[in-house]
Amino acid sequence: MNVESLSERGARARRDEEVDVAIVGAGPSGSVAALHLARAGLSVVVLEQGEWPEYNDYTGARPEHELVSTKLWHPNPNVRDNPNDYPVDTSTTDINPLMFAGVGGSATLYGAQWMHFLPSDFRVRSLDGVAEDWPFTYEDLLPYQLEIEREVGVSGLAGDPAFPPRGPYPFPALPMGSVGLRGALGMERMGWHWWPGSNAIPSEKFGELNACVRRGTCLTGCPEGAKSTTDRSHWPLALKAGARLVTRARVKEVETNEQGLATGVVYVDANGRDRRQRAKVVILCANGVGTPRLLLMSGGAKNPDGLANSSGMVGKRLMMHPFASILASYEDPLDSWRGPFGQQVYSLEFYESDERRGFVRGSKWNCMPSGGPVGMSGAIGSKVYVAEEGRFQDFWGANLHENVARRFGHSLIWGIVGEDLPEEDNQVVLSKDLVDSDGLPAPQIVYKVNENSNRLLQFNIDRCLESVHAAGAIETLVSTPVRESGWHLIGTTVMGDDPKRSVVDQWGACHDVPNLYIMDASTFPTSGATNPTATIMAVALRNTRRMIAERRNQKVA
Amino acid sequence: MSKDKTFLALADFLIPAHGDMPAFGSVCSFADAQKALDFRVDLKEGFDRGLDADPALSAEAHLEKLNKEDGAAFSAVTTVAICTYYMNPRVRELLGYPGQESVQYDSKATQIYLTDGSLGHVLARGRKYRPTPGL
Ligand SMILES: Cc1cc2nc3c(=O)[nH]c(=O)nc-3n(C[C@H](O)[C@H](O)[C@H](O)COP(=O)(O)OP(=O)(O)OC[C@H]3O[C@@H](n4cnc5c(N)ncnc54)[C@H](O)[C@@H]3O)c2cc1C
Ligand code: SF4
Repeated sequence: MNVESLSERGARARRDEEVDVAIVGAGPSGSVAALHLARAGLSVVVLEQGEWPEYNDYTGARPEHELVSTKLWHPNPNVRDNPNDYPVDTSTTDINPLMFAGVGGSATLYGAQWMHFLPSDFRVRSLDGVAEDWPFTYEDLLPYQLEIEREVGVSGLAGDPAFPPRGPYPFPALPMGSVGLRGALGMERMGWHWWPGSNAIPSEKFGELNACVRRGTCLTGCPEGAKSTTDRSHWPLALKAGARLVTRARVKEVETNEQGLATGVVYVDANGRDRRQRAKVVILCANGVGTPRLLLMSGGAKNPDGLANSSGMVGKRLMMHPFASILASYEDPLDSWRGPFGQQVYSLEFYESDERRGFVRGSKWNCMPSGGPVGMSGAIGSKVYVAEEGRFQDFWGANLHENVARRFGHSLIWGIVGEDLPEEDNQVVLSKDLVDSDGLPAPQIVYKVNENSNRLLQFNIDRCLESVHAAGAIETLVSTPVRESGWHLIGTTVMGDDPKRSVVDQWGACHDVPNLYIMDASTFPTSGATNPTATIMAVALRNTRRMIAERRNQKVA
Repeated sequence: MSKDKTFLALADFLIPAHGDMPAFGSVCSFADAQKALDFRVDLKEGFDRGLDADPALSAEAHLEKLNKEDGAAFSAVTTVAICTYYMNPRVRELLGYPGQESVQYDSKATQIYLTDGSLGHVLARGRKYRPTPGL
């Protein structure tokens, strides 16, 4: 049985049927919950506003790739303009949130850089006196982390001294390529930390996933079916275990009864009709923007500030990891269009706090190939390296040829992910005038890059320039903070022990509505500086296991 | 001026011959640009507007005006020009770009950083994380 034939299955629940669990969102977090709950024998229905991926639509192997992907596979839903996504009001944010609607969720377009949080990420208050500690520790989460890596098919090399000793990765690290080797050379010359990249891309065939062939188009969908996304890693198994998946189902409200317990959800189906899915337990896995949006749309007249929001924290503390990017070009060829586009090398040299630097917390760097000639021209597309006030002639004519000759095939990109500190003013609210294709209010992002992030990014950019020059860079272009970089959506329904200061407990259960759970990165008290999906899936697994173990004690309507 | 002539004049200004690289018009045609446009129907309107040229203006002056007054049209014309150019097989050959090709490799091969001592240096530099037990 293959993924395509499975997608035909997954019927809707019978009219009025009450299922054990309704899950909103079929991205990484929802997929983990669905698989494990279905395997434990619970009846599960997942509602996903997007559709199954069509692998033929990924243009990575075709000449028109750069032309098509700047629209169809753009990570910003406002640019993509696909009715399955909801638009986002970005008039009040420094950084645009990026995401994708579909089975597999935003990971459809992710770089598959796989890196779990470090021990200090769970103890930020104790170590650095900022934000909050998590209610659990690195050690508590590690067993789930290792289990998720086996489900996802991660490739990597164990033994990195930036982490406590841990088990091996399921697959050997992908080849570093000339890009990775050059990135590592700069770090080596500076005497700094680097390590071969760990990626959610198996280097060998694994279940429905094919071996990666380094096509290098991971960020616009992998045409080879090699990048691990849950439509291939989890859904075939979840459907087999009995989970049901309804696509083009946009949930508009979580319903509750007089006692304040969740009774199910109302969604708009593919034909624009309202439908009700009754459930004993509801789990939200709609990401750090979609989850608070849904809570703010729910609750009715009794909860004018939204459901599960007695703390007033729903939507607040949005963290998006301000990001800087350094493009470095070298004399010699690096074949820098070759993948994987995930990280070929990463560095955690500046991950931990050092008060002498003038900011708290730190960064993760990842070294990536720079891509095809259109992107390298700087003339169109994301325009990340182009100043707004630049003259168009700077990018055209002889300059175009010279820019492309210098950069294309000869460059690498260091991405700098900075830890974002939680601030209540950075938040998701409902837009007053923008609506989605079903007329539901779009989320509006209110977000400013804070002073800590600005200092952190500048320090890291300066260090990164030292490293690339140490490896012989002949040209460097810096972009900071990159506006189109809100790929990590964190913190908007914070977990904690105190119902007055947090939305969910450490197991993802809402303090106000004990049979309503949240299992995406909305619950994270702090953001770490690693790409979050590894931690998101591990936390979802931990919560799901607990839910299964405690199911007889679960309060339901 | 007809649309195809206008487009080729603009494209040749944007992408002239330089060193070994040919000008747009010597390797690509207006028909190629239209084929490219079929992949991006969202650009069609802007593209058409962008080719409504005042014959008195030079290619550079026309592009300058578009860039100032109709960003969407400027973006459509330039996107189609550059993508058509870099999709062209001759241009790719000159650049040494095979496209996003697939590359076979042996996943079990010993990687160079394990044999040349470089990863050993990282290990020798010691632990980097901050342990937290007890916190
Ligand atoms: C371009 C890009 C690159 C990235 N690169 C990396 C990387 O290299 N490494 C990494 O770790 N992370 C990366 N990320 C982040 C990663 O994709 C997310 O962390 C991950 O997908 C989050 O999983 P999730 O299930 O919580 O949410 P999502 O994957 O966002 O899934 C949420 C799902 O819920 C659905 N949904 C939302 N609202 C509703 C509703 N009302 N009704 C029905 N369905 C709804 C959405 O359609 C979506 O499918 C990247 C993201 C982007 C956009
Ligand atoms: S590099 Fe690998 S994972 Fe990425 S698109 Fe290519 S084949 Fe897919």
